[in-house]
Amino acid sequence: MDIFGPVLNGFGVVLEPTNLLYCLIGVVIGMLIGVLPGLGPAATIAILLPLTYGVEPVTAIIMLSGIFYGAQYGGTITSVLLRLPGEASSVVTVFDGYALARQGRAGTALGIAAIGSFFGGTVSIIGLTLLAPIVAGFALSFGPPEYTALAMLGILLVATVSNGSKIKSIIAASLGLLLATVGRDGFTGESRFTFGSLSLSDGLDFVPIAMGIFGLGEILYNLEERHNKVQAPAKVANVWPSRKDLKESSGAIGRGSLLGFFLGILPGGGATIASLAAYAMEKKRAKNPERFGRGAVEGVAAPESANNAAATSSFIPLLTLGIPANATMAIIFGALLIQGVTPGPQLVQDNPELFWGVVNSMYIGNILLLIMSIPLVGVFVKILRIRAAILAPITVLITLIGVYTINNSIFDIWLVIAFGVLGYLMKKFGFEPGPLVLAFVLGSLLEENLRRSLLLFGGDPAGFVTRPISGVLLLLFLLVILLPLLQKAVKKSRANRAQTTAPHTEKEKETV
Amino acid sequence: MTELTENGSVLAANIQRRIFMIKSTFSRRSVLGAGTGLALALALTACGGNVASNSAPSDGSKFPSGPVTLTIGAAPGGSTDLIGRALAENASSGLGAPIPVVNKPGANGALATKEVGGAKADGQTLVILNASLFAITPLAVSADEAVKIEDYEVITGISQDDYVLVTNASSGMKTMEQLTKAGKKFNFATTGVGTGSQLAQALLFKQAGIEGTDVPFDGGAPAMTALLGNQVDVATIQLAEAMPQIKAGKLNPVVVFSKERNQYLADTPTAIEAGYDVPVSQFRAVAAPKGTPEPVLEKLRAAFKAAFASDAYKAFNKQNLFTAAENDGAQVAKDWAADAAKFKELAQKYDVNLGGGK
Repeated sequence: MDIFGPVLNGFGVVLEPTNLLYCLIGVVIGMLIGVLPGLGPAATIAILLPLTYGVEPVTAIIMLSGIFYGAQYGGTITSVLLRLPGEASSVVTVFDGYALARQGRAGTALGIAAIGSFFGGTVSIIGLTLLAPIVAGFALSFGPPEYTALAMLGILLVATVSNGSKIKSIIAASLGLLLATVGRDGFTGESRFTFGSLSLSDGLDFVPIAMGIFGLGEILYNLEERHNKVQAPAKVANVWPSRKDLKESSGAIGRGSLLGFFLGILPGGGATIASLAAYAMEKKRAKNPERFGRGAVEGVAAPESANNAAATSSFIPLLTLGIPANATMAIIFGALLIQGVTPGPQLVQDNPELFWGVVNSMYIGNILLLIMSIPLVGVFVKILRIRAAILAPITVLITLIGVYTINNSIFDIWLVIAFGVLGYLMKKFGFEPGPLVLAFVLGSLLEENLRRSLLLFGGDPAGFVTRPISGVLLLLFLLVILLPLLQKAVKKSRANRAQTTAPHTEKEKETV
Repeated sequence: MTELTENGSVLAANIQRRIFMIKSTFSRRSVLGAGTGLALALALTACGGNVASNSAPSDGSKFPSGPVTLTIGAAPGGSTDLIGRALAENASSGLGAPIPVVNKPGANGALATKEVGGAKADGQTLVILNASLFAITPLAVSADEAVKIEDYEVITGISQDDYVLVTNASSGMKTMEQLTKAGKKFNFATTGVGTGSQLAQALLFKQAGIEGTDVPFDGGAPAMTALLGNQVDVATIQLAEAMPQIKAGKLNPVVVFSKERNQYLADTPTAIEAGYDVPVSQFRAVAAPKGTPEPVLEKLRAAFKAAFASDAYKAFNKQNLFTAAENDGAQVAKDWAADAAKFKELAQKYDVNLGGGK
């Protein structure tokens, strides 16, 4: 069996000058639209699609996929510098990324993010090269019950990643879950909380909520702060990630990449849960978990590696099964059709040059992105030297334009403003926005899949535990809840035993 | 507010320009410049839309007086979007004006459709209509959310996009007969509430006396994924989505729901041939607001006719497995109204409830 022949031929395809050029164009455009909040890769690819009609299919797809993973790099920059997460999968990056930036370590955060992204992307491409056909089935064995369990696990993790008071986090998360119910019910067609407005009938969009609560809320809060006390100008040292930073985050990058690769294969929500789980895992593993949210380098490294790995592995269902995993993949699916290539289970056999050409272009694309982003870090951190009086209105303007471009809707602009006010109030009263936004994203995933599963089971919830994957996920869910309680109980019993030697052996056995 | 919305109409055209502008701005090392670039792009955007707002004489001699905006009530990348973009590209030279495409997704397209319905009736603002929005969605949503075909001037029909009932190949089920004799309860995946996929399957299963549970998914791809993973027993999806899997032997086509056999799947019988009264297809048309002057409609009709005749557009239809349905606008309005009445009657007759009947 000649396995490596086609792979090497694929490199031959990528290294043709035209393909290299289109790869570069793709990643540059991707990175730039990633920096712009709002205008996402899906819309960009749809708009640029006609430009690719005249070129070879493989060249076209190399460029379009470059836009997609390039946008993942660019998205980090606004998350870290301006607290504007463009996608659900970069929400957790904001926690420590922005904290680092405020400490004058934006360079460190962006540098680590670029390295983590490169590493995550590369690990995922290697996985794509070697494992694609084997792991593709993973996407199919995940049905509604499995997504239900995964979403529950995700919502539980939301509670563990926040730093503030538990009660306030729960309130914020509940509000997020409530917001997720707005819109036309996908099962009965009934309108919920839409107040007769058609603009609300598809529910609320992630981008206006995230941009409002994180970005605009922060700007409003800072304006008030500025009035109340004289603020020292933000120190912006061009600090590169030190050897210590790299050492600290290497484990996080590795674990995040693996998690991202596997969860990214799941269509819908995979990347978000991957970044969230990667962050939660690092926080759990850390010796001083209280550093997280206050500028822990691993808190940037883990989710960034995970979401880039997930972006790359989301190509697996498309290229091996013919299933588009997200909106961007659906457009690339369309682009392939226009080029006369049918993306389906037979793509690898019928068009090995295209398959390997595209896969291998990602190695090159990731290297290009790393080379571009390292020097750009120095440029981007200078943004923070701009006086707030100038930076704040420009940020608001970019945010509003970006949000408008998604649906060409004025309504969304009002939404950003409303959520900006909410974000300001939350910050003022000590609520963290993270739990709200993440619960909002996971809430619709949970509700839809829970109801879908119950339809499939004919109303019998026993199905959740009898299916192997959802059963294991639910067990994990229970463990995440019970472990801290048991640990506390054990600690208490030890303390008690030290004083009274009371017999608490039963509880100890359980934890073993 | 409406003025602002109009101004946004050329935004799509500007996005491209903006991307290039930003690119050049970044190369100038100054990051602050990026903001200025954006502000400049916004200014450009704000100027563009006003070209069309001069009052047009009703003889249509001044038409088109600037870019003709084609509004699409779906996100970029879906079938409706692809069709709109192919049409805009091929019709603009015949019309003698650029046709920028603007996506305004929301409420299955009702948002964009209602908005264009309320726009100025001068032919400068058009919309792609989906038949399901008029004929099927009203069966699932409340009356005030529904839209009526009588409120539009339909310029011309565009094409027909057929639904196919598929099973997982591993089940071995290939015909309606096998399904009816299986004697089991089926979980059937639909592409959502109030879609042709849901209506077609609900009617078919009721008529065939098969017990089934309606499981709505969020579009065709998730429904197909669930079927490929054997999470559900059957699904009804758009032909273009199912075709690669049918060709690869992963899915079996059972019936198509069009009135006539589909040219791209000629060996598969229609539901009607199989003995069931379920004629459901997705038709699309392009329309202007009610009251658009006839000479303007005539010019638009001629431009779209020319687009339909072009080789590039014909190739596009073939690649995406659409069947041309370029009927006259008046006929389209009549057909769709008849379909709406028919579906309502069938739904009542077979006690099919697209909302709440779970």
